[in-house]
Amino acid sequence: MEKTDTKNRLLVELKQVTKAYAPKKRWFVRSSQPVLALNSIDLGIEHGEVFGLVGQSGSGKTTTGRLLAKLESPTAGEIYFDKTPISQLKGVRLKAYRSRVQMIFQDPYQSLNPHLSIAETVLEPLMVQGIGTRDTRMEKVVHTLDLVGLSPGEAFCHRYPHQLSGGQRQRVAIARAIVLEPQFIVADEPTSMLDATIAIQLFKLLQEIKETFGMTFLFITHNLAAARYMCDRIAVIHEGHIVEVNTAENIIRHPEHPYTKKLIKVQPGFKYGR
Amino acid sequence: MLNKYFMLRFYKGWQIFIQNPLGKTGVIILGVFMVMAIASFFVPLIDPMYDPMTGIDPDIKLSTGPSLTHWLGTDNVGRDILAQLLEGAKVAFVVGLSAAFFSIVIGTLVGMIAGYAGGLLDASLMRLADIIMVLPSLVILLILASLFGQFNIWIIVFIIAIMRWPAVSRVIRSQTLSLKHRPFIEASRVAGASHVRIIFRHIMPNVLPLAFLYMTFRVTAAILVEAALSFLGFGDPSQVSWGMMLQWVWKSGHMFQAPYWLIPPGLCISLLTLAFYMLGRAMDEVLDPRLRKEGQSG
Repeated sequence: MEKTDTKNRLLVELKQVTKAYAPKKRWFVRSSQPVLALNSIDLGIEHGEVFGLVGQSGSGKTTTGRLLAKLESPTAGEIYFDKTPISQLKGVRLKAYRSRVQMIFQDPYQSLNPHLSIAETVLEPLMVQGIGTRDTRMEKVVHTLDLVGLSPGEAFCHRYPHQLSGGQRQRVAIARAIVLEPQFIVADEPTSMLDATIAIQLFKLLQEIKETFGMTFLFITHNLAAARYMCDRIAVIHEGHIVEVNTAENIIRHPEHPYTKKLIKVQPGFKYGR
Repeated sequence: MLNKYFMLRFYKGWQIFIQNPLGKTGVIILGVFMVMAIASFFVPLIDPMYDPMTGIDPDIKLSTGPSLTHWLGTDNVGRDILAQLLEGAKVAFVVGLSAAFFSIVIGTLVGMIAGYAGGLLDASLMRLADIIMVLPSLVILLILASLFGQFNIWIIVFIIAIMRWPAVSRVIRSQTLSLKHRPFIEASRVAGASHVRIIFRHIMPNVLPLAFLYMTFRVTAAILVEAALSFLGFGDPSQVSWGMMLQWVWKSGHMFQAPYWLIPPGLCISLLTLAFYMLGRAMDEVLDPRLRKEGQSG
């Protein structure tokens, strides 16, 4: 399955990672079987690539992202980030890890606190990581807002999420994720709640960011066309198993696994660039 | 905490609130009592005999009905009933608001911590809340008062607050549970924010409106408990309150002889608690859009 014997160093490596959601134990009730979201998967993500994770709902793709963002811990197996196992990270080292790995969430209407202004939202990672002084932080925020296309940044600082459109909100969420200049970003279906034209704009933005900072991305999506447009390599995940890993072009043109073939067949006909 | 979004929500909420007949009536009644409470500071300045506690009209030996010098009459030692009534309004506000405030502070903190932490801490805090919730607060206060003698008004406030936080904490906990898994909280965790920061920066502004709603209902309860305690003779003897006035009517045997003395404090207790209740109901409508009538916007 694994075809990543390349010269590049791996930034992220998942070894035999399993995530099971066990039902709560209750008195006098026979507990049902645990749900296996991920069934001992192996994955390697190289430095500086955009790695796509494609699968249908419930296939475990979001779980993978959440494990990497350390919002959850694997039941078995180990995740290595830059050769370091991350499951035991605590305290200062966990905080340091958090400054290197950020996440962009799916729903921009849920991922911004309505009570915080845009500046406060983007400022938060800098504040909790204790980076810079008050003034340099604010400068950084304005600069980052400009970078994600919310310009002039000063004008957006004092707005609140309810005053922004969905696309603008997602740009704020991207700004929050890149303000720490992390090495690795988990993008969990960042455009699935937005319409297609805005999705394309955001893809372009993410690629610009990738080129500017040289970040590595895990791009989670259910949309093969989006994955093909964004990603260098794609892994197809199905019911907690990685069924196929290959370069984006090969996955689309020469799918090997029957599930991948099926997935390509059911994609709606419009593909970007046609 | 009091950011622009909060103010905007407050402003919009106020507009819905004031459209509501219950809210309007509640605010008007509260306004009247507010004026009464403020007036209580000035009445003793007119003449020392209008001091609600110590001012005695030298010409009067028995309880007398309304007259020009004493608009609502006097009690059996010659103190002005209107002055006592005004003082009672002040005390009711102080007792009601501070007891309610303390109980929502405790309730909100416990609720947020229990909901956010989950597990054993959640379970133990909520069992503690259950235990306190089923205790009858008036009976506990009576027992404590008879054990330790008569309490200072602030100790009464404190005990009411201690007895009344569990309901608030339950509501705040359930709200926190639904907030806990919202992506903006998770985004904050991914950024490396501490639990304390997440609780106070992200959860608290989102549960505060609900806490304020519960505060109005706590005010009603606190005023009633204080009045009942005072009427039964366990109030703060150095402090005039409506419950205390009722206690004096009863103790001096004027229950059926002096309606001008009996009715005003009773009426005031009912009206003030009613006003806070109406306020709470109207706020409920602001916070829960499902209760709104068609055509009202938020």
